[in-house]
Amino acid sequence: MPIIETRDLSKRYGTRPDKSVLAVDRVSFVVEEGQVFGFLGPNGSGKTTTIGMLVGIINPTGGSFRLFGASDAKGLLAARTRVGATLETPNFYPYMRGRDNLRVAAAIKGVGRSRIRECLELVGLADRARHRFSTYSLGMKQRLALAATMLGDPELIILDEPANGLDPQGMREIREIIRILAGRGKTIFLSSHLLSEVERTCTHVAIVRKGRIMVQGTVDEVVSEGTSALLRAEDEDALMAALADCPEVTSVLRTDDGIIVGLSGGDLAGVNGYLAGQGIHLSYLAPHRQSLEDVFIDLTGGDFESMTEIAS
Amino acid sequence: MKILGVLLRIETLKTVKRRTSWVTVGLFAAFNVIMAVDNVNRAHRFPSYSYALPDSWPNILAGLASPTGFFIAVLMILLVAPEFSWRTGRQNVIDGLSKERLYAGKVMLLAGLIVLFVGTVLLIGVGGTLFSPSEGGPGIIRSTDLSYLGGLILNLLLFGSAGLMLSTLIRSAGPAMGVLFLYFLVEGAIVGLIMRAGETARSLTEYFPANVSEALGDDLAHYPEMLASVNADRAGRGLAPREFLDVEVMVMAVLAYSTIFLLISFLSMRKRDL
Repeated sequence: MPIIETRDLSKRYGTRPDKSVLAVDRVSFVVEEGQVFGFLGPNGSGKTTTIGMLVGIINPTGGSFRLFGASDAKGLLAARTRVGATLETPNFYPYMRGRDNLRVAAAIKGVGRSRIRECLELVGLADRARHRFSTYSLGMKQRLALAATMLGDPELIILDEPANGLDPQGMREIREIIRILAGRGKTIFLSSHLLSEVERTCTHVAIVRKGRIMVQGTVDEVVSEGTSALLRAEDEDALMAALADCPEVTSVLRTDDGIIVGLSGGDLAGVNGYLAGQGIHLSYLAPHRQSLEDVFIDLTGGDFESMTEIAS
Repeated sequence: MKILGVLLRIETLKTVKRRTSWVTVGLFAAFNVIMAVDNVNRAHRFPSYSYALPDSWPNILAGLASPTGFFIAVLMILLVAPEFSWRTGRQNVIDGLSKERLYAGKVMLLAGLIVLFVGTVLLIGVGGTLFSPSEGGPGIIRSTDLSYLGGLILNLLLFGSAGLMLSTLIRSAGPAMGVLFLYFLVEGAIVGLIMRAGETARSLTEYFPANVSEALGDDLAHYPEMLASVNADRAGRGLAPREFLDVEVMVMAVLAYSTIFLLISFLSMRKRDL
């Protein structure tokens, strides 16, 4: 059963044609029950805006979506009680204690105090629940947000950059919690630009750039979507120059290990023949299994912001 | 009906846990205690000064007059605007409230603050009369007292709804308070200019929000015998008599402004992204 279904969902900020910004451009995807769906893209690519439309804080300007099959206002309000979500930075009342912040969320979700205790214990914040939110570290704030998300024992959990600002240990803990939740059959929609995290955690993925989905599918499908090869030669500068004109090659990335090229087909022999014709003799040529990061770079490679995002 | 209970619970929790609420209400209560103590002292010192019900209602209800509207508008801004800057209102919607219900919660907050402020004044004011040596007249409350109380409550509604509107439009407490104070300066300046333009234009200024609110909150508009006494005194000094629009007209004007302010804040909350 589709839990989330979007069709040509769009959001344009501003009405003047010369000044308006199309933040989300005809985005269509389906998240099925039990999937851990990674929604990838650099900052400003429309991830949070898309989620904002799903959770009702941003009004779409085009297209439609369904949550648990509901698309009308009343149905969506009911469907959202089955969703736990947190967007960007954790949003809580700074003057309230952690526990009191959860009391506000619990009252809205209609859950009791015992559930607050359970969730605080699950994220390891039971000892600090009596302290004010403003005294929490970023990691603790993220964990409190995760606790708030899980309060209503939601069927769909939407997490927007849950690992932001966390140290490696904190990221690992978040990953563990996501795995536990996925193991309990929850559907998880995870937005992130930490690609290795997503590759380790998600079953499905969509990569979004400038408001548009570039590719989507299972992680394996997306990773194997483009065939690539690792090439080495004596003169790598000459090899780079020759590859620039090779019709089979879709992208070129120079690494310490050699040159990784994306190929429009799987014809390694054709590439070898072309390079030989250009006077380039390879010392190494082998198929290369791409990582999600390679795919991401292939798809967003021309985007300076994207590159700095990955570097950061 | 269940949702009203939820809204009441979360708005109470947010307000009670906020130190700003206690400081503002505490200052307001302290101000009213000072007024009550002063009234009791006067009643002890001057036997002709009556501080007993129902004669002392104008004195007691004065605690809800002019600055109280500012108190409630500022408190509304301080409690509502940060919901946008902290993005907690947005989180409330993500957690399951609709934008309309989030707005309804704020209207309930406004109603609660009005009840709190009116209750504080009545409790302290009426409580103060118990310590007064004055003898009370027949009855506890008169129709003129009810008219004055109603006018003051409507004023609180007007100021509170203005605070709510500015909070939802500007979404930041500091600038919203700045605009609130600036408005009164600007209205004063406009009224000053119009007053020179002639009688017809001058009569229009009586309907301006700050002017009509000030008039509705003036005890003279509700107590004809007090107005007659003041005007007799003014006539003796060669001054023009004080005049007011009918109370019903002022009530309609204040209700209309409040409705417009509440409608604008509702539309802003509903239409704009959080």
